[in-house]
Amino acid sequence: MKKTLLTLAMIVLALLVLLPVLWTLSTSMKPLSEVNRYPPEWTSSAMSLKPYSDMFFYLPFLTYTLNSLIVASSSTILTLLFGSLAAFAFSRFAFAGKQVFLLIFLLSQMLPGASVIIPLFQLLQKAGLYDTYYGLILIHTAVLLPFVIWLLYGFFQTIPREIEDAALIDGCSRMTALRKVILPLALPGIGATALFSFLGSWNEFFFALILTSSDSTRTIPVGIGLFVGEYLDVWNQMAAAAILFSIPPLILFTLTRKTFIKGLVAGACK
Amino acid sequence: MKRPILMAFLLSISLLSCGKKSDDIVLQDWNFGGRPKLIEFLRQRVYSFEKLHPGIKVIQSDKSWNMIREILYADFSAGAGPDVMNTHSNFAAEFGEAGFYYPVNKFPDFEQVKQWYIPHLLESTRYKDNYYGLPSSAIAFVLCCNKELFDKEGIAPPKTWSQFREAAKRLTKDTDGDGVPDQFGLVLMGGDKGGFAYRMIPLFFKAGVNVMSDDLKKIEFNSPMGVAALKLIADMYQVDHSITPGFLAYTHSEINDLFCSNKAAMSIEGPWFRGMVGDKSPGKDMYVVSVPVPDNMIAQYDTAPTLQDMVMYSINARSKHLKEAWELLKHLRNEEADMFWITQDLGATATTKSALNSREAQSVNDLQLYINELNHARPWPPHPQMIAIASNIFTPYCQRAVVGELSPKAALDQAAREAQELVDAKK
Amino acid sequence: MKKSTPYLLLLPALLFTVFVLVYPLVQNLINSFSDVSMITGRSGWTGLKNYEHVFEDTLFWRSFRNTSVYAVVGTGVALVVGLAFALLLNLKLGKINTVMGCLYTIPWIISPVVAGFAWKWLLNDQFGVVNYWLASAGIVKHGTTWLGNPGTALICVMLARIWQFYPFAMVMFLAGLQSIPQEQYEAAAVDGATMVRRFFYITLPNLKTVSSVMLVLGVIWSFNDFNMVFVMTRGGPMNSSMVLPVLVREFSFVQFDLGKGSALSVVIFALLTTLSYLYLKMISRGEPT
Repeated sequence: MKKTLLTLAMIVLALLVLLPVLWTLSTSMKPLSEVNRYPPEWTSSAMSLKPYSDMFFYLPFLTYTLNSLIVASSSTILTLLFGSLAAFAFSRFAFAGKQVFLLIFLLSQMLPGASVIIPLFQLLQKAGLYDTYYGLILIHTAVLLPFVIWLLYGFFQTIPREIEDAALIDGCSRMTALRKVILPLALPGIGATALFSFLGSWNEFFFALILTSSDSTRTIPVGIGLFVGEYLDVWNQMAAAAILFSIPPLILFTLTRKTFIKGLVAGACK
Repeated sequence: MKRPILMAFLLSISLLSCGKKSDDIVLQDWNFGGRPKLIEFLRQRVYSFEKLHPGIKVIQSDKSWNMIREILYADFSAGAGPDVMNTHSNFAAEFGEAGFYYPVNKFPDFEQVKQWYIPHLLESTRYKDNYYGLPSSAIAFVLCCNKELFDKEGIAPPKTWSQFREAAKRLTKDTDGDGVPDQFGLVLMGGDKGGFAYRMIPLFFKAGVNVMSDDLKKIEFNSPMGVAALKLIADMYQVDHSITPGFLAYTHSEINDLFCSNKAAMSIEGPWFRGMVGDKSPGKDMYVVSVPVPDNMIAQYDTAPTLQDMVMYSINARSKHLKEAWELLKHLRNEEADMFWITQDLGATATTKSALNSREAQSVNDLQLYINELNHARPWPPHPQMIAIASNIFTPYCQRAVVGELSPKAALDQAAREAQELVDAKK
Repeated sequence: MKKSTPYLLLLPALLFTVFVLVYPLVQNLINSFSDVSMITGRSGWTGLKNYEHVFEDTLFWRSFRNTSVYAVVGTGVALVVGLAFALLLNLKLGKINTVMGCLYTIPWIISPVVAGFAWKWLLNDQFGVVNYWLASAGIVKHGTTWLGNPGTALICVMLARIWQFYPFAMVMFLAGLQSIPQEQYEAAAVDGATMVRRFFYITLPNLKTVSSVMLVLGVIWSFNDFNMVFVMTRGGPMNSSMVLPVLVREFSFVQFDLGKGSALSVVIFALLTTLSYLYLKMISRGEPT
């Protein structure tokens, strides 16, 4: 009895929590004339998937998706590559200035985007990287790196040194040990970190808003964020775009949920 | 482990670099705003241009008006930005002064092209001695009245301020009987700083108030009649409660929604509004009339100026293909193209003599009113700081007066002081 | 193994951090003491003028207050909500726990841009679902304005922010709850402690570290948060929900005063560094070094 009640309460709570998502979903299938009804209606007889095809009229949505994919996957790869090297150094070597370096990375993780945006804008402007993929990838990588190093550092720490020592005794070099022993063991952690990077870049709005402008580089969040303005009040298409945009992260998250959460807990507060 | 990563990396790099190689000249054309019909028309125009000029490719990007100035400013100062774009004509001062826009009068055939347009409309693309674009579509701000609500109440669209206030009062109602009004006389656009200024200034202009002196040295919007105009709106909001209480968050979309669902009876809008409302609720009718004048100026009802705005097409001064961009500009804006503003309802008023004098022009909705209003209307003063003053100073202070944080006089005086500082700083 | 190896390993990451984070900070510092135009760049020193402009601006103080409230209260509430959800999920109910755990985490995965718009629709004064429900229940009058009301706009944005952030707290707390040794509860049960007492004497003390870390992290992140405010209100109406990150954009990319924007950036950075220092102290207690 108590269990049923609790279960019921949990389901109600879930519906409440998902209200914004559910309402967006409902909006995304309504014809424009029925979007703003009062009292609000959750369903209507005229519901269809038409807004999902109509939205391509205004937005080069495919281009935006491709841009987002390129930027997010490139930044993920770069952060993982450089992040794991740095994390390996931190977890396996004792060297002068280690604490200082750790501090630098930790501090830069806290940096507000607002405090670096102006010089970055000027820098990209001068380097001819304003409004290019490269510029945005560079920035996303740099912004994500500190937290990624921090997460990976946590993972590498959990791998017993003995295994690695055994590999060293077997005649492997340190780098081979990293490649053949540590990386495979840290794979779940790396997966979680990759998800974090990907999500971070995929959802990133602030830098993308200010550092890109043309359709050929603009990512989806900015596309959606600037979609509604004067003359463009197609709420249903906007909702459709929002739903489509949210699907990839949701799938990725569901697939890697467990390791992701474990990694986060390990990384954020050890 | 490493291999798939490397592969993916190489893949994305190759994706980055592909799809660029071609000998064609590529023009970037940014189109801001526009209902589906207009966007469709512009795409056709671009298509016919490419047909006429093999070897030139035009990439049209459709964007909303949202943050247009910020985006373009950042782009231009970074040496980037599109080759061709449409903006408000009052950008001519700021972007002309900054050297962002190419003066189109430098092109040898400009003198001929100039002849296409109604002279005073062409003038609003001018800043100092240069013309920074070709007129696209003209806008006069007018009062749009919800016909259904006015007819039900049996009242006519207002002509004077007291009629305006009275009508708004009578049209504010509690239709479902729950004790709270759910239909309002007037809706304002408070969520868009520029949009709000564009809707306040017509009332100022109708009362004979100047935003700036003619020599562009002194801010004058805080004159007694300016204060009276602001007080009118403030009283409607605070005393009559005939303005939608949530207006501070509204942009175009909310206003359209409220108008279509009969929750708002009046809004100060322009020629796009009829079509926009029609897109959402087909068959919805409205009275389109001049913005009301102060009671004692009723004699000037037909001649008092309203705010004139215009969309113009301009060329990026840093464009690598100035000549081709000019050809595109002309193709988008020649007399043939302008006829479409008459034959199809694209949401603004045509600007060429031939289109406005054509036989078809007789049957266009509200056209005679708009032509008359445009004949008397005035644009924003051509000062480089004008956009900043309107959005960042004028609007915030006016809004504070409307909701009662400041008195109308104090608000306008303070706004005028800050605006004057900006003008005097001469940056 | 050569001595230089760890440095070589660090080099790429360090280069990124220096070029994209450290250099901008230095450049910002220079900008903040200079006259900078977006078009022509830096044109000479101005001393403390930019800082004076920032501190003289009433909007700065208003934003500072808003940001503090947004960060501290928002994070505090999110932590309480997160804890409540974690306690609920920690009840052993079988498979439903996993499913619900997944569903409750969704707000965190949704892009802030999407979340902001979704909340904007829900909170619409004339057509929104929230108003409809509240009005039907007789709690508010129909047509009550939320985002258009200077008194409530910030609270609305905070609500959306809490909605986005609580899952993170929930996940962390859940992990914390699961690591509490079962024996402690058993011993308490033997002593006949009530559920409430067990919560206050065992559960909460065990979550102390994780909650203080979460609080500081949450405050830092919310302090930096640009997205939610920008998407929902752009700092309006009448600047009532203006926060510092949005104000930086306002100064630099709307008013095009890069010097003033840089000065504000430096101020924000100083504030954040202080907060980060707190965080560092907090976690270094747990570090073996």
